[in-house]
Amino acid sequence: MPEIENMLKKQGKEFNHIEPPPEMEERLRTALESTAKRKHPRKMWFPKAAVVIIALFLFGYQFDTFAYYGKKLLGYDQVLTGTLKELNELGEGQSIGKSYTFKNGVSVTLDGIMLDDNQMLVFYTVKDPRGQMDESDFLIPMSLKGLFKEYQMQSGQGDMNEEKTEMKNMFQFQPPLFFERKLTLSFSLEENNQREFGEIPFSLDWDKAMGHSIRKPLRNVLAVDGIKIRFDSLTASPTTTVIKGQIQSIWELAQDKMKGERIRPENMGLKLLANGKEVPGQSSGMRTDMKGITFHQEFDALPRDLQELQLQLVSFAADHDVHEQVELNIKETEKSLEILGQKIVINEVFHKNGDTFIKITTEENVLFTQIDLIIDNKKADLIETTSDQYDKKPDGTILHTRILHFPGSGSKLELDIKSMKYEKKYDLTIDIPLDS
Amino acid sequence: MDATPVDVALVKEAKKGNKDALVRLIMDEKQEYFRLAYAYTKNQADALDALADMIVILYEKISQLKNEARFDTWSRTILVNCCKDILRKKKKIIPFGQLPEISHEGEFRRKDEEIMLDSALAKLSRKHQEVLKLRFFLDFDYQTIADILKIPVGTVKSRISIGLAKLKVILGGEDFAGN
Repeated sequence: MPEIENMLKKQGKEFNHIEPPPEMEERLRTALESTAKRKHPRKMWFPKAAVVIIALFLFGYQFDTFAYYGKKLLGYDQVLTGTLKELNELGEGQSIGKSYTFKNGVSVTLDGIMLDDNQMLVFYTVKDPRGQMDESDFLIPMSLKGLFKEYQMQSGQGDMNEEKTEMKNMFQFQPPLFFERKLTLSFSLEENNQREFGEIPFSLDWDKAMGHSIRKPLRNVLAVDGIKIRFDSLTASPTTTVIKGQIQSIWELAQDKMKGERIRPENMGLKLLANGKEVPGQSSGMRTDMKGITFHQEFDALPRDLQELQLQLVSFAADHDVHEQVELNIKETEKSLEILGQKIVINEVFHKNGDTFIKITTEENVLFTQIDLIIDNKKADLIETTSDQYDKKPDGTILHTRILHFPGSGSKLELDIKSMKYEKKYDLTIDIPLDS
Repeated sequence: MDATPVDVALVKEAKKGNKDALVRLIMDEKQEYFRLAYAYTKNQADALDALADMIVILYEKISQLKNEARFDTWSRTILVNCCKDILRKKKKIIPFGQLPEISHEGEFRRKDEEIMLDSALAKLSRKHQEVLKLRFFLDFDYQTIADILKIPVGTVKSRISIGLAKLKVILGGEDFAGN
């Protein structure tokens, strides 16, 4: 048990780094300013909040050249905005209209799906005549089972009515393989510690899939920080634009691991520019598996009058293996080091209540992911990092000063840095030709 | 977390309808309020929405607050309820249990252990998740949790111990999805 408590506490420490955003005060004031005029301000807040979230998900897109088929899905106004709303207005997608009812009277209706080369969107309604929608636990992580493969849900969102009797949902799945004809949507409901499973089988009508507007292989490579980022493909569909690529092949990964010089990419800042204007980003992912390290990044759909398309790498962050031992003296001041090109300043080393404290300063995006202190040849694990201080310099860089707390004290001190994360800014642009 | 003594004079000002005083009461402890909202909503936009909802309710109901020194607990209870309202209405669902790819949250990707823990926490019922987060993420003591959630201390303790036991089972590998 204590192990789990420790894990929770450790995660709680990460929580200490969450800072309120600068606009918090403004938001509070704006909310208060509108109170006197409004009788039911709480009801007014929800639509606003919903729009904020969904706008991040999909954003303004014009597409009016689709054939008119299918039926418009009703009641999804809160869930659908921008691109998807317009596609729905046009009757894009496939209506299904099949239901399943649980023993307690709660029903799930699969209203319809929208399918293109990049994703499959599932629209369904949950109804609870008892008005207890918030009491039951829908383990919605549901799946779509096909003939050969089970497709997993990737993200989803929903909107519940005030009476708690109905909820409209839109979930995103990876698109099924082209030969799938029949799929089964499965889901479950938990109430009073009892779980019940439900299924809705349906046929997939490929004639109603929206396909893609552009699909092209990319053969661009950008070299950053000793590794190569390969961009493999771009697929633009009516609902979204997906870029895929690879950072390290499984072979490169294995070689680095053997050499003890692993680089674990953490985050990549990519911008897609269509006609010189940034296309809003939607989501991104990176995974390490038998293919090595691969990534994908999703953006909103491309504009109809596309004339030029560019991809920009703006930042790259990774965790690097480091093998650095730094000898320290007590009362050390302003000792400067450079590790993998990153400047690290040891501001102060001191003892307090029998423990050792080291005050260090680095750039904001430098973090030690594995660091120990060797005190008189004995390893001491880092207990905690305290007194975080961020200092913005006139040139825009932000310095992060903190105190590392190690248990015990001694005369011979050696800081053992095993791995560290950092982010570098870039300005690298790839032109994507549109004619071929 | 030790509760910082609240500025009673400021609460009295706020009770008179002084909006600035109310904003100051919250902003003086902005980190605590924001982290509490974030612990529930897990994203900045929703946390800010919850805080905005909270301040409106505080403003409307502060005249009913009898004991000024209790402002802290009272406002936090309201904030927790606002967060729950937002979660209920939106039911934003993130499928932790079966993430095919890891999405990035902020500058650095979260560590595997955290993702595992998050995924396990997400499988607990809301009342168990809630007490574990308040206790371990926000470092609230039993009494504070009891005050905010308006439940007896004994219930807080039992929910924590049941929550921990369930987490242990889940992390032990039992397939909770029941497939």
